[in-house]
Amino acid sequence: MTQTASASPEDVTAVEIHGRLPLLFLLGSSLLWLVLGGLLALVAGIQLHAPGFLAGCPVLSHGRAEALAESALVYGWLANAGLGLSLWILGRLGGEPLRAANWVGVGALFWNAALLYGICLVAVDGATAIPLAELPRGAQILMVFAYAAIGVGGVLAWTGRRRPAMYASQWYAVAALFLFPWLSCAAQALLVWSPARGVLQAVVAGWYGQGVWTLWLAPLTLAAAYYVVPKSTGKSLPAYEFAPLGFWCLLFVGAWTGGRHLIGGPVPAWIGSIAIVACFLILFHYVIVGLNLRGAFAGGSAALRLVSLGLLAYLLGGLVAAVTSLHGISEVTQFTYFDEAERQLAFAGAASLTFFGAIYYAVPRLTGRPWAWSGLVRLHVGLAILGTLLLVVALAGAGLAQGSDLNNPAFSFAMIAADTRGWLLAASAGQALLLFGNFLLLVNFIKSTACPFYAGDRVAQSLRPAGASA
Amino acid sequence: MRNGAILFLGLFAALALSWAGIVVGSSDQLGRLAPYYDEGEGASFPAGFPGIAVRGEQVYRDLNCASCHTQQVRRAGYGNDEARGWGTRQSVARDYIFQPAAQLGAARIGPDLANLGQRKVDREGLLRLLYSGRGAMPAYAFLFEKERIQGQLSSHALDVSGVEPGWQVVATPRAEALVSYLLSLSSPYDYPEAKAAASAGEEKK
Repeated sequence: MTQTASASPEDVTAVEIHGRLPLLFLLGSSLLWLVLGGLLALVAGIQLHAPGFLAGCPVLSHGRAEALAESALVYGWLANAGLGLSLWILGRLGGEPLRAANWVGVGALFWNAALLYGICLVAVDGATAIPLAELPRGAQILMVFAYAAIGVGGVLAWTGRRRPAMYASQWYAVAALFLFPWLSCAAQALLVWSPARGVLQAVVAGWYGQGVWTLWLAPLTLAAAYYVVPKSTGKSLPAYEFAPLGFWCLLFVGAWTGGRHLIGGPVPAWIGSIAIVACFLILFHYVIVGLNLRGAFAGGSAALRLVSLGLLAYLLGGLVAAVTSLHGISEVTQFTYFDEAERQLAFAGAASLTFFGAIYYAVPRLTGRPWAWSGLVRLHVGLAILGTLLLVVALAGAGLAQGSDLNNPAFSFAMIAADTRGWLLAASAGQALLLFGNFLLLVNFIKSTACPFYAGDRVAQSLRPAGASA
Repeated sequence: MRNGAILFLGLFAALALSWAGIVVGSSDQLGRLAPYYDEGEGASFPAGFPGIAVRGEQVYRDLNCASCHTQQVRRAGYGNDEARGWGTRQSVARDYIFQPAAQLGAARIGPDLANLGQRKVDREGLLRLLYSGRGAMPAYAFLFEKERIQGQLSSHALDVSGVEPGWQVVATPRAEALVSYLLSLSSPYDYPEAKAAASAGEEKK
């Protein structure tokens, strides 16, 4: 990958001019969902150490608050941000103005409207109790169509690219665009439209839950990381010839790792055994990603620092999944807060931090202006890093305490609650820091995008022929 | 990588392979599981769910109780579920064939509920627990109604403290259904596959 560094905020190309509104809409709505989801996650987190908190309110009773927070953060924040960034990257690397921008805009509108409708229904009527598929089926099917409409822009940018060769960012972005609708349809068919019988539902839900990460959100994360790192450092990626192997390893092995959560459960034992093998096989993917992107750790801009920490969380997540799949360890960590820590390491650590970095990199190029308040950028970066660290470490600590207590019948549930209380308080503090930081990011984003984009357009039209800098 | 068609086919193959392996594979193994007929007892197991329990399962799902409770007993030697009194054997797939949506759960912030019906719990106690909560379990007071006593105290009135004189707390149909569902959770029968799994676990130890 031989891309040159281009860090000037006036680096506005035809991609930005044609796709500016839908792309900024995707990023803006992602940040709104991020703040709303953070608020719900904070409520659910506080309820773990103060069970009476808002318990009288059916809409925010603990189970529903968890389902609402998860849906808002995954389908609101991560999906919108990942899609917006991937489309922008596909457009830039394709070297042509973004086509089908109207499709992207309409799709984005419907995606967010369907999500809002689904979230309201969960709040009023209740969840489906299927992890990562908590929304009612009407909303889910609408979201698949909306996703397809958004995807049109990305697929056209990919098929209409100027150079036949493809960069790693493009493989990962295209993979995420195609795989999510297939994955979602296959899972919905067996979970909500014609539910499979008995524990088969849990197997399908496990396959889907893992797929959401390995076949959709992880590729979106890597698409952003593989773009921002070489662009920010100005260096080509080391060991780049291995990148295709890392890509195919993630796709072919990743979906099989989900069974580690079902080890010891009433499902065929081979599901767990294959998952353990897959968890170790896929370490190969993590090694390659680490080798390729190690330049990120050299430090630099705020964007690069965030991406490097996201990358660190990504690599650590792969290692933790492998270690906790082993029987001796999963005996303690299974069904505890440790699982939640692992999920947060992926969603809040790897994906969110990388997306923050990529947003800090992309928005000045979309608006043609630097961020409105650079002080808020520094503050948000600090809060995001501290909050994520506190959240993940505290949940892991709570999980280990809870796991060893659970396996000792002498410990009652009241004693377990007392043992984990301190950790859970720390986790809530982490959520609060994240919420405050993310609110600052939202304010900064609104201020940075609120004015018309004259400056950027003028610069783009006077300095650059369309599509020249991709 | 230059060829878009290869990328596209590769993506499809990656998803289809994992789907075929995990979903179709386990469907092939579990899809035709039938109740087990015990000639000695002259009955088949597991028994079906009563209608009110099916409605209760819907309440369990609506409130996402599975975010804190599992319904699966792990085998002896893997965790300590039996010592906690959650069941006498590992849960097997056949236990769930009549459940509209198996609520295996993935977190044990509260106890496992797979065999709650076999434990020393009664309807009244469960309703009281739901109404007032205890320890880490929040109160679900919105599943109950406070009403003025008309003449005699209702036979369904809940015996809880802190209710003003002249008023009584009565469970809504949702709370009644939920408790019926919870009390119906019980898989006492020792299927052949459960025995085989238990002896395999013993050998490993």
